[in-house]
Amino acid sequence: MTLSHLATEDVFVVERNDADFRAGQGMTKGLGIVFRKFRKALFGKPNSDRADTEGQFNVQYPEERLVLPEAYRNMPILLYDDATGHELCTSCFQCERICPPQVIHITQAKDPATGKPVPAAANFVLEYDTCMSCGYCAEVCPFDAIKMDHDFELSTGNHPELDVNYDRLLRPISYYEAIAPTMWSDVKEQAMKKLQNNIKRRPGAIGRDHGQKVKGGAAVAVAATPVAGAAPAAAAKPRGPVAAIGKNMPEEKVAKLISIRAANAAKRGGGDAGAAPVAEAAPIVETVVDTPAASAAPSGPVAAIGQNMSEDKRAKLEAIRAAKRAQRGE
Amino acid sequence: MNPIAIGVFIVIALLTLGSGIMVVTVRNIIHSALWLIASFIGVAALYLLMEAEFLAVVQILVYAGAVSILVLFAIMLTRQVTGEGVRVVFERWWVALLIALGLFGVIVPTLWQHGSTWEEASKLAQVGPAPVEGTAAAGLQVATATEIGRSFMGEYLLPFEVISILLLMALIGAIVIAYEERTRRRRVLTLAEELALKKRGIVEPRDAEGAVVALDSEQA
Amino acid sequence: MADALTQLGFASWLSVLIASIIKVTLILVGGSVGMMFLTWYERRAISYMQDRRGPNRVGPQGLLQPISEAIKTMTKEDATPREADRIVHFLAPVVMLGATVLSFAVIPWGRMFPVDLNAAVLFVIATGGLHSIGMMMAGWGSNNKFALLGGMRGVAQLISYEIPQVMAIIPVVLMTGSMSLQKIVEAQNDFGGLGWFVFSPVGLLGFALFFTASLAEGERTPFDIPEADSEIIAGYMTEYSGMKFAVFYLSNYMSNLAVCFITATLYLGGGNGPGVDALGGFAGGLLSLIYFLLKSFALFFIMVLIRATVPRLRVDQLMGFAWKFLLPLVLVNILSASFWVALLRWDQQWPQLTEWFGAPSTADATNWGRLAIAVVLTLLINAGAVALIMRLTNRNVQKHLYTTDEELALGLS
Repeated sequence: MTLSHLATEDVFVVERNDADFRAGQGMTKGLGIVFRKFRKALFGKPNSDRADTEGQFNVQYPEERLVLPEAYRNMPILLYDDATGHELCTSCFQCERICPPQVIHITQAKDPATGKPVPAAANFVLEYDTCMSCGYCAEVCPFDAIKMDHDFELSTGNHPELDVNYDRLLRPISYYEAIAPTMWSDVKEQAMKKLQNNIKRRPGAIGRDHGQKVKGGAAVAVAATPVAGAAPAAAAKPRGPVAAIGKNMPEEKVAKLISIRAANAAKRGGGDAGAAPVAEAAPIVETVVDTPAASAAPSGPVAAIGQNMSEDKRAKLEAIRAAKRAQRGE
Repeated sequence: MNPIAIGVFIVIALLTLGSGIMVVTVRNIIHSALWLIASFIGVAALYLLMEAEFLAVVQILVYAGAVSILVLFAIMLTRQVTGEGVRVVFERWWVALLIALGLFGVIVPTLWQHGSTWEEASKLAQVGPAPVEGTAAAGLQVATATEIGRSFMGEYLLPFEVISILLLMALIGAIVIAYEERTRRRRVLTLAEELALKKRGIVEPRDAEGAVVALDSEQA
Repeated sequence: MADALTQLGFASWLSVLIASIIKVTLILVGGSVGMMFLTWYERRAISYMQDRRGPNRVGPQGLLQPISEAIKTMTKEDATPREADRIVHFLAPVVMLGATVLSFAVIPWGRMFPVDLNAAVLFVIATGGLHSIGMMMAGWGSNNKFALLGGMRGVAQLISYEIPQVMAIIPVVLMTGSMSLQKIVEAQNDFGGLGWFVFSPVGLLGFALFFTASLAEGERTPFDIPEADSEIIAGYMTEYSGMKFAVFYLSNYMSNLAVCFITATLYLGGGNGPGVDALGGFAGGLLSLIYFLLKSFALFFIMVLIRATVPRLRVDQLMGFAWKFLLPLVLVNILSASFWVALLRWDQQWPQLTEWFGAPSTADATNWGRLAIAVVLTLLINAGAVALIMRLTNRNVQKHLYTTDEELALGLS
């Protein structure tokens, strides 16, 4: 055998101590480490920080759930306006074209009087069973009508059910705002503007009938949102992998954050500088609140995970949000 | 002897004999070895029935557990076992018959001499200190570990030592054979060795092996 | 038990038969229930060592998980390879399980002894030796090269480790003067039930050696070479499925349980502990059973801890460990055990001892001076031997890792 393919630097020969008498020290040490792990996992508190290396990592899934990141994507959904029931989709076929597995099938709506196409979809079918959750459709959509859902519990014994039609794809905007508040607030203005333009070109109930039907059928997701709103503690929980802002944050970083927060408050020029970021952040956080999946399940454990966050951590999080908003120039 | 013991004895004896016959009649040599193990275990069960517990356990430990395994190993390492079965009867079968008969001729009179019935045999064998009253072994104290140890270190010391020397010789012989074998073996460099040689840039790894082999012969 | 039945009016042979059947049933049930508990225990413990939770869904805390697993394996297909030796293939798990169950015959459950055999200690080892037959049968009968390799490895390992295992018991037998487990337990009942052998230098070393050798006998990690999943799939179990596989599994865990029981009996005082004698009777027996089980499961925890910590040995390391490390230490331990016994109670043979050290210890009065001398002497011998042997093995390892002969000869270092 040769090692010609290996550079000399690739292999490290372990340098040992000169100790003649090791007396199983390595073994004892190893056993000690494993026993500490055992003790920490059994008696320690559950791990809430990805930076931790010890403690109980398992989340007891059906009862406990991790908070999903805002940009988490599972399957595409379509949005409609809560107030009017107008769907955001204009059947521009961008998503159908870009879809790599070609699972999107759109039928364009036509004006019954003139026979001309109308910027709305008559039907929209998506094959969930073949969809690969790439999210291209959501990225390419110029009208922000198609978005990625957070609901991942889609398993079913009925296969044809996975060809989802328009009625079952539609969700109200408030639902999407609840699961991805910052992402929606980024695009909210232009999306609503475009929607208004499109509504003008839609005669009669076209582009509204599906949305209204769904709305009339009392969407489960909408009904579920208040549950989380009632739990203000849960409202403050970080979206993203549990505690995206770790407690291991170095001191100077924290100091920086505090200064940014102060600067933002000053920029806004309000007399109530101290209270402003909190007040600003509160509504966002409150609407974020909870994923529908989490609110459908008993919300206790979820809230418990959120509560693991300390006060100052929460303040930090809010400061960051405020800073972001300031950058966007609101 | 109570009827249960007699019944158990008959069953075990028949099984032992049966497996002994299977050892010499079965064509598949591995099966033959397995039958041999069964017969060893049967003998151990007979010892246990005679309340010679130590002997029974040693029989299992040494014969069923070690000797038979060595036999199996030897068969598997030296023979093509998966093929056709071996021949059961050889040309000089009568030699084997003579030896077997001779052994039988020695064993039967010896047994006869030590008493023809169970009670007599047990009385004759009872040489150790009187067994503790009330224990199961009170009636029959055939061979305890203490007794066996005493006889090895007293009456049968010479045979014991001779056997020990024989085993020692076998051990030394095995070491010598293994040692010769080892020096002739081709060295394979470890990662560290190969790397150390390569690092110095003196020789390529392939040449290094040759160098090591040359080195080995030089030392020898 | 047989006597009680005779008094109830059964014929003597019938009462013996009934008593035996009851005992056998209890042992079988106890062994297999213990094994089920053990699988759960190991899985939970190792899960926590790896920052997981382990099976906790079936039943309270997942206690019924083994039952669901048993039902699962029973309903699985029982496949036999076409070219296999069917009878041998079928008998191998039976032999394995039979050997394991036999060892449960002599295990004392606290103060309860199913059978008090004179050579009980050896009996347990001998049944362990029968395992190798089952292994060989499984390896050969499967007609599969991985199975054969696994079987060969397993048998080689079992035979090698039987030697240090048996010899590690000799100090205990010397100190007790008997091979009966009952007598061994009784001998450890001094000092208010705390006179366990493990507290003496001889017993401590013996405990470590015996436990290590038993790990190898029970094919536990780091000695699980016969069933190394990553190298030879599952060794001799490769061609087994369904119930036959479950029987192998059962026998493995039962033998591990037996090893824990025997180690607890030999070195940790069996069912002895503070308060057992004071309570006496049924309550004392119950307490002794609890002590015994606690000790055994603590030992099993150490097994699991070792499994979670140490990676599998290489075959040459395995053999080297048995012959170059365990065996010399075991021999030294026998030597120091003989010193121990000589110092503490050998006055009949050598009356000067009484002149020098005073009267030998009795059950009522301990001769502390003698005990101290014995402890110091054996401690010195054992510690010296351990240090020396570790130094020697370590030298070899270092020489190999560092500067090879070739390097030296070629002037490379």
